[in-house]
Amino acid sequence: MTGLADLARIGLRWDPSGQAGLHGPLLALAGDCDRAFQHLASRWGASEEAYAMTLPASSLGGHLRSFPHQVTFAMALDPAEANLAGFADGTVLDRSGAVALTRTAPVTAVLTPAACYHVYAAHHGEQLTAATYVTTRNTCFRRESAYEPLRRQWTFTMREIVCLATADETASFLAQARAAVDQLAGLIDLPIDWAPATDPFFRPDRHPGHLLQRIQPVKHEAAYGGSPALASANLHHDHFGSAYAITRDGAPATTACLAFGVERWLHALVDRHGPDPDGWPDLVAAARQVVTR
Amino acid sequence: MRSDTEIRAELRTFVRRHTGQVAVTDDTPLFTLRLLRSVHLPELIILLERLRGAPIDVEQLRIGDFDGIDAMVARFGRQP
Repeated sequence: MTGLADLARIGLRWDPSGQAGLHGPLLALAGDCDRAFQHLASRWGASEEAYAMTLPASSLGGHLRSFPHQVTFAMALDPAEANLAGFADGTVLDRSGAVALTRTAPVTAVLTPAACYHVYAAHHGEQLTAATYVTTRNTCFRRESAYEPLRRQWTFTMREIVCLATADETASFLAQARAAVDQLAGLIDLPIDWAPATDPFFRPDRHPGHLLQRIQPVKHEAAYGGSPALASANLHHDHFGSAYAITRDGAPATTACLAFGVERWLHALVDRHGPDPDGWPDLVAAARQVVTR
Repeated sequence: MRSDTEIRAELRTFVRRHTGQVAVTDDTPLFTLRLLRSVHLPELIILLERLRGAPIDVEQLRIGDFDGIDAMVARFGRQP
């Protein structure tokens, strides 16, 4: 296993709050990972789309009920002059480092929990006449009970390839997507295993989403050596198509996504190939090879 | 615990109530075809627990367990 000291020597600046800063070889490797995933996205002609770091809470009602323990809210002080003055003239921070808030403005935004959520909202009302593929990357935020450098973080980088299409087209996409990840992993000598998975729902025992994930193969995760998932392939059926009035051939679109957790790939690659950058595989060349096969 | 025949009859009533006019047989893959959806699962599990007279451990559920009345009777018709 690769320890924190090893990772620090090659460019990790770890904040125990669950956040990682990168520089040097690890930063370069993160860039290569993302470029490799972009190459995979070109397999479907996916369009690159970039989004803000927050989502309207009003678009995430279901997510907030399902994952309240993971959500990070974007909040601000009530802008009334007296309220701001009360804050600025107060203690500002208590001894533990917590902010001594005065009155807050209504919280209406959530820091992105999954990169693909932006895509469905952005394509609201579209009537698709062909399968549509989008790739996007975002910094995502998920609170956890404990954090581990590169493996389980509060903030992390997620690259996604999203398919908006018919049920048959999304099924083909997911099969191809998993095969592409397998090929990439094989070419860079990173053994991975796919397995059905469930999301960490709050109170899962009677949560419809959790129950569905247990009885239907809607989520699969690829793990390296028992580590947290490096990638997940997810079928949403027409959940987002119906919610955002996105149609494909007149019916609510089916959507699916392939998601990569970039920092987890860094950990797996260093664990597999060692901390010396000279021993790391050429990820971009491997991805190019996958696409041209 | 009810007999498999009684469980099957109750499940047919439940499925008919949620699928309306769609023709459904005991081997119709109800969730694969999206005739039943995730929102129906909690009520379906409570119904099965009542019919079999024993709780269902959600963490022991497997892919396919609910995909048809035949599958549900085979999986939950007899206490483990």
